[in-house]
Amino acid sequence: MKKYILNSFVAAIILFAAACKPEIETPAGTTAGQANFSKYIAVGNSLTSGYADGGLYLEGQKVAYPNLIAAKMATVGGGAFTSPFFSEEHLNGSGYISLTALVNGTPTLTPVVDKLAIRDAAKHLDKYSGEIQNLGIPGMRVDLAFAPAFSAANPFFERLLTDAQVGTTSYFQYVQTKNHTFFSLWLGNNDVLGYALNGAVTVSTDPTTTLTDKVTFSSLYANFLNALTAGGQKGIVGTIPDVTAVPYFNTVTVAALLNAAKAINPAAAAIYIQTGTGAVRSATAEDLIRLPFQSEGIFGKPNGSGIPYGLHPLNPIENRWVLDKDEVIKVKDYVNSYNGTIKSLASSKGLAIADTYAYFNQVKTGINVQGVGINASFITGGAFSLDGIHLTPRGNAVIANVFIDAINAKYGSTVPNIDITQYRGVKFPN
Amino acid sequence: MKKILLSVLLSAPLWVLGQGFQVNLQGQKQIGMAGAGSALALDEASVFYNPGAVTFLEKNSVSAGVNPLLFKSAFKQTGSNVTEDVKNKIAPPFEFYAVWGPKSNKWKLGLGVYTPFGGLVDWGDNWSGKYALTSLNLKAIYFQPTLSIKITDRIGIGAGFVYNHGDVNLQRAIPVNFPDGRSGKATLDGTGTGYGWNAGLYIKTLSNISFALVHKSKVITKLDGGSAEFEVPKSLEGSFPAGNTFNAELPLPATTSLGVGIPLSKSTVLAFDASWVQWHIYQDLSFDYATNTPALVDTKSARNYRDGSSFKLGINHQASEKLALRAGVGYAFSPVQDGYVTPEAPDADRYILSAGLGYTPTHHFEVNASFFFEDVKSRKQKNIETGLDGTFKTLVYAPGISLTYKW
Repeated sequence: MKKYILNSFVAAIILFAAACKPEIETPAGTTAGQANFSKYIAVGNSLTSGYADGGLYLEGQKVAYPNLIAAKMATVGGGAFTSPFFSEEHLNGSGYISLTALVNGTPTLTPVVDKLAIRDAAKHLDKYSGEIQNLGIPGMRVDLAFAPAFSAANPFFERLLTDAQVGTTSYFQYVQTKNHTFFSLWLGNNDVLGYALNGAVTVSTDPTTTLTDKVTFSSLYANFLNALTAGGQKGIVGTIPDVTAVPYFNTVTVAALLNAAKAINPAAAAIYIQTGTGAVRSATAEDLIRLPFQSEGIFGKPNGSGIPYGLHPLNPIENRWVLDKDEVIKVKDYVNSYNGTIKSLASSKGLAIADTYAYFNQVKTGINVQGVGINASFITGGAFSLDGIHLTPRGNAVIANVFIDAINAKYGSTVPNIDITQYRGVKFPN
Repeated sequence: MKKILLSVLLSAPLWVLGQGFQVNLQGQKQIGMAGAGSALALDEASVFYNPGAVTFLEKNSVSAGVNPLLFKSAFKQTGSNVTEDVKNKIAPPFEFYAVWGPKSNKWKLGLGVYTPFGGLVDWGDNWSGKYALTSLNLKAIYFQPTLSIKITDRIGIGAGFVYNHGDVNLQRAIPVNFPDGRSGKATLDGTGTGYGWNAGLYIKTLSNISFALVHKSKVITKLDGGSAEFEVPKSLEGSFPAGNTFNAELPLPATTSLGVGIPLSKSTVLAFDASWVQWHIYQDLSFDYATNTPALVDTKSARNYRDGSSFKLGINHQASEKLALRAGVGYAFSPVQDGYVTPEAPDADRYILSAGLGYTPTHHFEVNASFFFEDVKSRKQKNIETGLDGTFKTLVYAPGISLTYKW
């Protein structure tokens, strides 16, 4: 009897445990809704290409947000997604910077110079001739997308073209040749960022440092949307993040410089800058200083007259290092104008909008996503790579979800979200 | 020239206690009745269920039992098509009781050693909530010497002193990455002690309907000098110093129960218990590290638990002189409010179903077996503190068996 009880008891346990696993039913991954993801193309700039840590390299290319999105689209009818990956032999691509030491919070950034994909002395990159759906080109702008000459000047674009196309095919023409069924368009950042990254100094010989005229931007962006929807295709556009929301402009603060100066000379009272108008004045918290200034090693260095750099009106921080508060206002005004254009054009076409402008403003104040704190701090914030502008793999995963959510909301699709915890932030040296 | 301060990487909470940690497995007969039975002088497990009923036990006895528990929890991130399951790990809640008193005297002594709180959850090192938690192993073992006194032939009171030995091991990933891309890891491990009491009143009316009122006090368990180990890239070791320790407090709540026992016939009795679990003491969870750095600050995380409650109905049928059959149903209301659900206690309101049987081959020996099942409702949550956003669903299976020697 006792044995019988025990035996039936054991049998019952085994049956129960095997049969009864908890189930969670959700609609994710069941439908494409009104969209057709069978051939997705991603049009954009460095962010779209997977550029990170100041360079384009294989690891970054693989986790570019369009690639992450495409992998999830596969569950709802998405087809293959091809990218111009660098080869394993040349996986470091254009080269990039890595964090090699962090002593008392001070980073040492070192260029990675092996296994590069540089094919000649003119720094052209290895050609790629296969099918491509990730069409992100680092440095691409809305205005220069219509300039055939830019396809020769930009090494990232040049590598994708045949010799006959180089210098004759514009990016705008190039993206129309892919027979896509769905597209993402996240372009326009560089139309203002190029100017801001140069300290709001426009170099007349360098068209990547200009601000694109607002009206020009509007008409060219409309051309893009008309071309990409010519066959009735659906798609998504991304707004342009506030350029002042990135670590590039928020790490070297005036207050931090002043503290550093006071540590050496307690009498230091102010930081002096040269503004865009040429005026020299003491800096305020509203003046932003570019990230590379910290590794330039010029701050506090005395000039020929013995006046320390940046600490005296007679030897101010030069204009090119500073986005002064009037320039900040100007840059923000352009971003807002471009975003107004992007949203109204996309709405009139019935397209989804990934409002990355709004999202990055949240990141700036700090958000918690799936147990991970993400903010716009340099190195430790988790979202931004070592160049202070482009995204880490984790940042790409987070932004990919912003796109996916907007796509699902617009088209009634259920493209699954990405598990962002599978993607890293900055790599810390061991 | 400029120091970049590491931001707070460890701002998120480290653990939580919930209804999920209250283990309602303290006696095979009562388990078979869904945990009801405080108003029945069933056996030596009354030391736990109602010290006031102990003095009404007819015999002296010792018993030992175990309830291998399988906590099967699943999680699906909001918007994801991937369901993740905890690893199959068997937690071993156990109980040991001894009751002794001179025959036909008015008092009895009892001793109980049991595990009223605990949790064993292992989500694996690479699941989507790993930065909130990867695994938790929590055990609270209560030692309770007890005295029970018959005031009249129909009224008994009893009380016990509770000493708690608590063990906790908690692991989570830290969102900093090694050069090979893997994440850092935090392991907190400590033991603690706490004190409390358990007192009960048992009344058997003239109609033989019995009543119980039992209060088990809160047990604030203090963990002092637990080890806090951090596995991080070398360049961050200054921020996560080796050999660090922590202090923390585990507030285990008081429970007040009202029980009724109704004899339906000579061989069948119905038991009903209503319990009020006073989780409101759990307002926040604080960790105090011996060594702090800008990246490793003391934490104080809001928990804001409300009180929980449960209702259990069980039946005990003596089918023959040797065989008893039992069954029970119950329902428990979670103390965890929306926004505070965590992977260590993926709590929600739950249904309870149970069955059990007892076999008495001789006057001295008795074997009891039970099967306890909980269906914790599916709950979609976004944790306020960590941002972990998804749906939890949990099923609990606990078969159990005990052996008793009576004289």
